[in-house]
Amino acid sequence: MKRTRIAAIAMAAACLAGAFAGGGTESQGSGSKKLTIWAWDPNFNIAIMNEAKARYAAANPGVEIEVVDMAKADVEQKLLINLSSGVSDGLPDIVLIEDYNAQKYLSSFPGSFADLTGKIDHSKFAPYKVRLMTMGGKTYGVPFDSGVAGTFYRKDVLEAAGFKAKDLENITWDRFIEIGEVVFKKTGVSMCAFDPTDGGLVRIMLQSAGSWYFDKAGKPNLAGNAVMEAAVSTYAKLIASPATMKTSGWSEWVGAINSGKAATISTGVWIVGSVKAEASQSGKWAVAPIPRLNVANSVNASNLGGSSWYVLNQSKAKDTAIDFLNAIYAKDNDFYQKILVERGAVGTFSPSQSGTAYMNADAFFGGQKVFSDFSAWMNKIPSIEYGSYTYEADAAIAAILPEVYKGSSVAAALKNAQTQLVSQIQE
Amino acid sequence: MKSIRYRGEPSTNLTGWLFVGAAVLLCATFCLYPIISSFLLSFQTGRGNQIRFNGLGNIRRLFQDAVFHQALKNTFVYFIFQVPVMIVLALSIASVLNSPKLRFNGLFRTAIFLPCVTSLVAYSVLFRSMFSLEGLVNHTLLRLQFISAPIPWLLDPFWAKVLIIIALTWRWTGYNMMFYLSALQNIEPSIYEAARIDGAGPLSQFRLITIPMLKPIILFTSVMSTIGTLQLFDESMNITLGGPSNATLSISHYIYNVLFLFTPNFGYAATISYVIVFFVAILALIQFKISGEDNA
Repeated sequence: MKRTRIAAIAMAAACLAGAFAGGGTESQGSGSKKLTIWAWDPNFNIAIMNEAKARYAAANPGVEIEVVDMAKADVEQKLLINLSSGVSDGLPDIVLIEDYNAQKYLSSFPGSFADLTGKIDHSKFAPYKVRLMTMGGKTYGVPFDSGVAGTFYRKDVLEAAGFKAKDLENITWDRFIEIGEVVFKKTGVSMCAFDPTDGGLVRIMLQSAGSWYFDKAGKPNLAGNAVMEAAVSTYAKLIASPATMKTSGWSEWVGAINSGKAATISTGVWIVGSVKAEASQSGKWAVAPIPRLNVANSVNASNLGGSSWYVLNQSKAKDTAIDFLNAIYAKDNDFYQKILVERGAVGTFSPSQSGTAYMNADAFFGGQKVFSDFSAWMNKIPSIEYGSYTYEADAAIAAILPEVYKGSSVAAALKNAQTQLVSQIQE
Repeated sequence: MKSIRYRGEPSTNLTGWLFVGAAVLLCATFCLYPIISSFLLSFQTGRGNQIRFNGLGNIRRLFQDAVFHQALKNTFVYFIFQVPVMIVLALSIASVLNSPKLRFNGLFRTAIFLPCVTSLVAYSVLFRSMFSLEGLVNHTLLRLQFISAPIPWLLDPFWAKVLIIIALTWRWTGYNMMFYLSALQNIEPSIYEAARIDGAGPLSQFRLITIPMLKPIILFTSVMSTIGTLQLFDESMNITLGGPSNATLSISHYIYNVLFLFTPNFGYAATISYVIVFFVAILALIQFKISGEDNA
């Protein structure tokens, strides 16, 4: 009880502080051209936004831009609370939203985000990305980074087990598991590391076959979906393989590759910074296309994560905000070259992908032109609609994984997941 | 004594109201209004601000929601197993520390009380790393040859629950111990002396004197701990993230998911929060009833 009371007091105090703080910015903001931007990850999104800010400020000295760094969960919570309170004073002008959440925000708070159709040339961006931010024929948002997937692997370890780069091209996950078991037997190094409670790889597998948790009408599509069944049983096979190291949470997962305990990591291109963080492994890494599922439509290209910029409709400096995003993110090719070199950020702005930085050979990856490869794979990513309920579906899949690991039928487990999902998304 | 006539003296009345006015106003704004507003909200549903009245639909949904049932079950498992373990542990430690023969007992008291003043998030993060597959705990147990393979604390539904119970016990035992210590110091030493003369050993003293004398405090701490468990959030959120497969998800954590992880449904989240209110009210009622009988 005491804890609750203290929490209540703290909350009340925070509300008061918030009210005063809100009042402060309001009086300051009127008339002047000040942009506030919310994003997360100081080494990636924030650093990139600061670069964009410097470029825009050089041409537009009258505009003041403040980039606010918060944890991802904080950005989402603050945005949600502010939008649902109906008070716009506390909101930023531009906010970063994860692609999986885009439809959720657009449909939960209609009219809160600025319609950018015709204001930004969306034809210059990767089509799968534009589709995610389109609702009712209107396109909101400016596409930002791609989560194009790839398999980063230790060339030295795989070569010690007798595998060449060619052996990892155009393969299925089943073949990947076979290779892994040989690698593990011959070198003692785990083929990959996974968190058995995390379904991120299931999403990669689904999108590689142009399928998703939901069908085109937005109805749950878990039970009786052949791609879904293939993805879950492949994932279970992967987890059951002795060559797979089991980890819990992000830092153990990344630690597995940095410490040399795991030989590959299959995920979105944004992991590149974490792979390169271990400088002593320079020259030993290479990147292969992501394996595909053993179903008809699956291709060796997919996506995991990625996010985009959105302008708030009630922003006092809406036009400036749109102009800023348009000038940098939808036009400045040089900007994309710089963030690629400095941050490993693969944008979805198509003209940038023929730029010089994309053509550079990377010594860390033994001279492979990794970003040129990633851009080629990006254009092959099957375009799907995530819908509003990615995380509900994710939770439903996570809930059935333990029974699948124990050997129960995947089809039956997916039926249970479907039941859970249907009850979770009712309104 | 003359009775005061309020009706004829409006000025006295006004002064009184002015005195309590500030408190009433604050209480109404920050306590009463949110309670009423959230109660109304609990009968509405919809995503984000697309909200509409739904009658008893949310309550009907509660009965069909498998994840909510899982969260409810988890929470009950926590307090059925964790609260008794912690109470017994706290009571035993308190009676040991209360012994006048024990040296440095201030040091021990502080050491055992310290966990409950540490930051919830900090200790959760530490627990998470200590209990990881290759963490300190598994390493130690393997080295001491208590186990032959590392325990999947965070990956197995059963062990994850055990981990949450260990964490809760570590953090809150000292807090409850303090209540017992202060209550123990209120027991008249002459009672123990008389018992000793009558030939009662330390164990029967504990059973026949200490426990009955501490009964109201034991009841109080049990009810408080149970309420605390019902509101459990930080541990579930930070140590296990509610997983694996919702095995450690608490009710409060589920409310958080409904609001912030899933498509936001403020109405349904409010309904779930009233489930906690419901259980807390029942427990508080039980406590009032039992302690009331004691006083009579």
